[in-house]
Amino acid sequence: MNGSPELRPLCVVIGALGGQGGGVLADWLVEAARLAGYPAQATSIPGVAQRTGATTYYFELLPASEPEGEPVFSLYPSEGEVDVVLALEPTEAGRALERGWIGPDTVVITTSERVYSTAEKVIAGDGTVRPRPILEALQAAAGRLIHVDTRGAGRQLNAMMLGALVGAEVLPLDPEQARAAIRARGIAVESNLAGLERGLEAARAPAPPPADPEPVLDPPPPGLDGALAAFPEPLRPLLGHALARLVDYQDRAWAARYLERLRPVVEAERAAGGEAQGWPVSRETARRLAAWMSHEDVIRVAQLKTRPGRLARIRAETGAGDGDVVIVRDYLKPGRRELSALLPPGLAGLVWRPGRPSGGLALRLPTTSPAGWALLRLLAALRPLRSWSAGFRAEQAQTARWLAAVQAALAVDPALARDVAEAAVWARGYGDVRERGLAELGRLLEDFERRLAEDPAGLREAVAASLHRARHDPDAACAAGAAA
Amino acid sequence: MAVAEHLLRRTAAEPRKGMERSFAAEVDKLRLGAGEVFHGEAILAVTKALLQAGVAYVGGYPGAPVSHLMDVLADAREAVLEPMGVHFEASASEAAAAALLGASIHYPLRGAVTWKSIVGTNVASDALSNLASAGVTGGALIIVGEDYGEGASVIQERTHAFALKSSMPLLDPRYHMPRLVELTEQAFELSEACHLPVILSLRIRAAHMTGSFVCKDNRPPPYNRLHPFPEARFDYGRIVLPPSTYAQEKAKFEARLPAARRFILEHGINEHHPGDGGRIGVILQGGLWGVTLRGLRRLGAADAYGRTPLPLLVLNAVHPLVPEQIAEFLRGKDHVLVVEEGNPPFIEEQVRALAQREGIAVRVWGKDVLPMAGEYTADVVRRGLARWLAEAAPAGAGREAGTREAAIEAAVAQARKALDGPMPPRPPGFCTGCPERPLFTALKLLMRERGPIHVSSDIGCNTFATLPPFNLGSTVLGYGLSLASGGAVGPALGQPTVAVMGDGGFWHNGLVSGAANAHWNRLDAVLVILENGYASATGQQHVPSTGATPWGEPVRLSIEQTLRGMGVRWIRRVDAYDVPATLEVLREALDARGQGLRVVISDQECRLARERRERRTRAQAIAEGRTVTLARFGVDTEVCTGDHSCMRLSGCPALTLRPAADPLKDGPTAMVGADCVGCGLCGSAAHAAALCPSFYQARRIVHPRPWRRWRARAAERILAWMGAS
Repeated sequence: MNGSPELRPLCVVIGALGGQGGGVLADWLVEAARLAGYPAQATSIPGVAQRTGATTYYFELLPASEPEGEPVFSLYPSEGEVDVVLALEPTEAGRALERGWIGPDTVVITTSERVYSTAEKVIAGDGTVRPRPILEALQAAAGRLIHVDTRGAGRQLNAMMLGALVGAEVLPLDPEQARAAIRARGIAVESNLAGLERGLEAARAPAPPPADPEPVLDPPPPGLDGALAAFPEPLRPLLGHALARLVDYQDRAWAARYLERLRPVVEAERAAGGEAQGWPVSRETARRLAAWMSHEDVIRVAQLKTRPGRLARIRAETGAGDGDVVIVRDYLKPGRRELSALLPPGLAGLVWRPGRPSGGLALRLPTTSPAGWALLRLLAALRPLRSWSAGFRAEQAQTARWLAAVQAALAVDPALARDVAEAAVWARGYGDVRERGLAELGRLLEDFERRLAEDPAGLREAVAASLHRARHDPDAACAAGAAA
Repeated sequence: MAVAEHLLRRTAAEPRKGMERSFAAEVDKLRLGAGEVFHGEAILAVTKALLQAGVAYVGGYPGAPVSHLMDVLADAREAVLEPMGVHFEASASEAAAAALLGASIHYPLRGAVTWKSIVGTNVASDALSNLASAGVTGGALIIVGEDYGEGASVIQERTHAFALKSSMPLLDPRYHMPRLVELTEQAFELSEACHLPVILSLRIRAAHMTGSFVCKDNRPPPYNRLHPFPEARFDYGRIVLPPSTYAQEKAKFEARLPAARRFILEHGINEHHPGDGGRIGVILQGGLWGVTLRGLRRLGAADAYGRTPLPLLVLNAVHPLVPEQIAEFLRGKDHVLVVEEGNPPFIEEQVRALAQREGIAVRVWGKDVLPMAGEYTADVVRRGLARWLAEAAPAGAGREAGTREAAIEAAVAQARKALDGPMPPRPPGFCTGCPERPLFTALKLLMRERGPIHVSSDIGCNTFATLPPFNLGSTVLGYGLSLASGGAVGPALGQPTVAVMGDGGFWHNGLVSGAANAHWNRLDAVLVILENGYASATGQQHVPSTGATPWGEPVRLSIEQTLRGMGVRWIRRVDAYDVPATLEVLREALDARGQGLRVVISDQECRLARERRERRTRAQAIAEGRTVTLARFGVDTEVCTGDHSCMRLSGCPALTLRPAADPLKDGPTAMVGADCVGCGLCGSAAHAAALCPSFYQARRIVHPRPWRRWRARAAERILAWMGAS
């Protein structure tokens, strides 16, 4: 065999999503290689590129400025011979690792800004994959990891990644050739040149992996911290946050009521030895109870929609300049169910009964108009009357049933109690979603103590199955309802 | 009420503007002259080769990966094709494109057509059979985009069987740009030498491969509109009726294929690399040159320039094979590996039969060391080569290959261990603002009311509805065939079926095989036509109802008028983005039993095309100080509970997640990204499904008229007084 046995093409895999500009990036590379005088070839599978699917581009360059002949380029990356994986989204870098394209000699250049896939979005609750563990895996598997902080890059994303690739100095291409390639392509030249410089800088000083977002806990409202002292120390920050929420939602008495309702659960868990486990049942119950007791009824929605500063925030989102006018329309559809919930029990039954279609009034409420704003303010002002309403009473009765079940389970099986606490996840959403969820929870808690005594295994199974449905198939209940 | 108003407003769809994209840079490349260097993608290089070969007419049907050929030629029609007298047609289907090649039967005209295979070849096969039997005078070339393997959007079959059954030479070129161009030109000569249409197969990645070659001048066809052929011809021998057909069949095997073999041999279409003349060798499809040589280099048996001690026979023509060429390669060898992608292994079996017939004692390898199915990627071929070398190569080489392969696989396995769980799948889906998505939102809501309904799906963007979050569409039988595929389902289920079809599918085959068939048979069915104005899935090519030809001539065929002309009476047109209205019309359609075919036309322009056009005009209007309104949607994080019902009804890329900062939230909340185009589906769906009050629309009016600004200022002051700021 002739030729230098070491000489081989340098191989670059570009993992992008449709619309991120991966194709233009590949074009720049081809042009830069041509200007630098190296044989090179690119290819892609862009057939569905515009539609947000994963799109792979592949580039090879023979690092011989005076080649002995026509190099053989491959149209496919191959395992163990990818010099650079350039990912415009972190799970696409992870995918390259899954596919065997990353090894100890690979330089991985990736962003950490997630673009969530449909599979993650359709999960009710949190189905997202976090970037940090992926970056850690890449760090462990690859020769070098260059994390590029692309926040705010916008349409410069691909130029920035080109800069990071050139700056990584794996390919024999220099920044000047990259600049010339951008100029030659002639698209948004100034903006892309700026992006390129940012990318070159990012390769010189890679950004540290992003921190996972931490939940932000509000401090307890003044005067209520004394009441917190009676609760175990590890629970206090969460409870303080809950109290702040409930005071904002209703009043201090409502917040005090929350602690009162929670106390028996904490005591029961203390008796069951929960302290050593870090209070899992109390913690879950505290979280769910606070959410339930502050659930977004019509009054709450009106309150949130008329928060000071909301319209200014929306205005900023649109990027409006000083002279521009911004009109906000809120898409509301209060159903008979929601409206009846505002009325006292006697009257509510005239408007809506469980099991009836809720219907609804589809509103596109012009919140930026005085009339629209005033209407929302009026609804928000009903807050003091909330505890008189039928909806409030019905919810309180169900909350009490759930808390009783948690307590009963705690005495028998703390793991089950935690699951029962989590089952309050069904008390979520609006309209039909909420109605379906509460019905599911009602079925689950029906005759709870008898089932707990007679068939604890069956009950455990039913609760676990319900939690699984809540996350993966929350709409099934309605399909079943329709079939029946 | 709202529905009726809506119908009044839009009884006839406005014609689309069309012409959103421009391929000016590509058109320039088609005009390069002798000695100039072409740099670009392979599919464009092939297009240039057609012009260099003196092609007289071109047609085709768009489909990845060959859509680009049609797009560029449509744009080049005025500047390049017309002056040369080249006829260009945007064929209504692959069958029409294949029939176009009929011009080459009697006349010395070179013609080329293109489409996506295998599906396009299926549609074209009637014309292709007849064409191949009649035989051609002028060179007839079919360029198929072989949509096989990763990124493919069609059934996994290869075109090879069509070439075999109709006796059409099939080229599978080695992917080296100058060679590809040369083979494209030679394909016309081959066709003329053997009087058979020739197929040139281009794989997806190969079509998008970049490279360069030195151009020749374009050659105007000898006969064309400017220099017409002197007379129309008739020859019963070219008619596909007996006894001509018997003579044609005989000619195929006694004259035409032998002539093809001669041409292939004499013009060096296939490439023989003798290597060191040793006792093992590889026969490979031209299209697998890159992966085979890459595999050999990784295993220590080749260098970066493709120099290898292994004898190779590279088949740029995979049909017909040339027996004497193969036999010569087999003689004196103990082991020969056939690297052939797809199934059945036609080449491998022919080689094995040939060895047996010729009494050559060689062991023929193939699908025993390479996988039966799937794309032959670099890794797949390398693993197969390693297995084969271990058995067939002299001890040293075999051992080295084995050691290298084991090292590669061990390193990959080690690296993979770092990853904790699988990455989320990311299949393609509807674009942001796609007007097809709301139909599936409505269908999903309809099923919540009425239980499962059988939905027949079609080819096009609408097929994406079979994926999450919709999971809608029980069958896909072919382009324009959704309605026909539900014919026997409705009676069996005792309910009307719903067929979904794009306007592309309607004109391709849906009009006759679908609508006429259903109307004539009085089927109890609902047909939903997604009229977005283009064959969107392949890149917004124009269809007969777009409003203009691909080169901009205003011609518009109306879907609605066509159906009415056939006697279909129940037709409703609905604004695609209005989910409640769509839902109401679907309910009506399902309930109109006994009224035969009901057609719902869901009407809104392909958003990608519309955005491409409007982005420019909007920017211009803003620059000129004119009033422009920009709409987008948003979600109030505090109001959103994180149950993601809206996403299970939408799947819009712009409707995404924001990690929740509030520990009381159950998960990330919804957010609308900056890429929102304000189509309104999320709001409309929230209304239709009574989902959640989180959504708002924010309309930004740039350069508002003075009174508008004054009114807004006044409102702002009043709101501030009521506590808004």
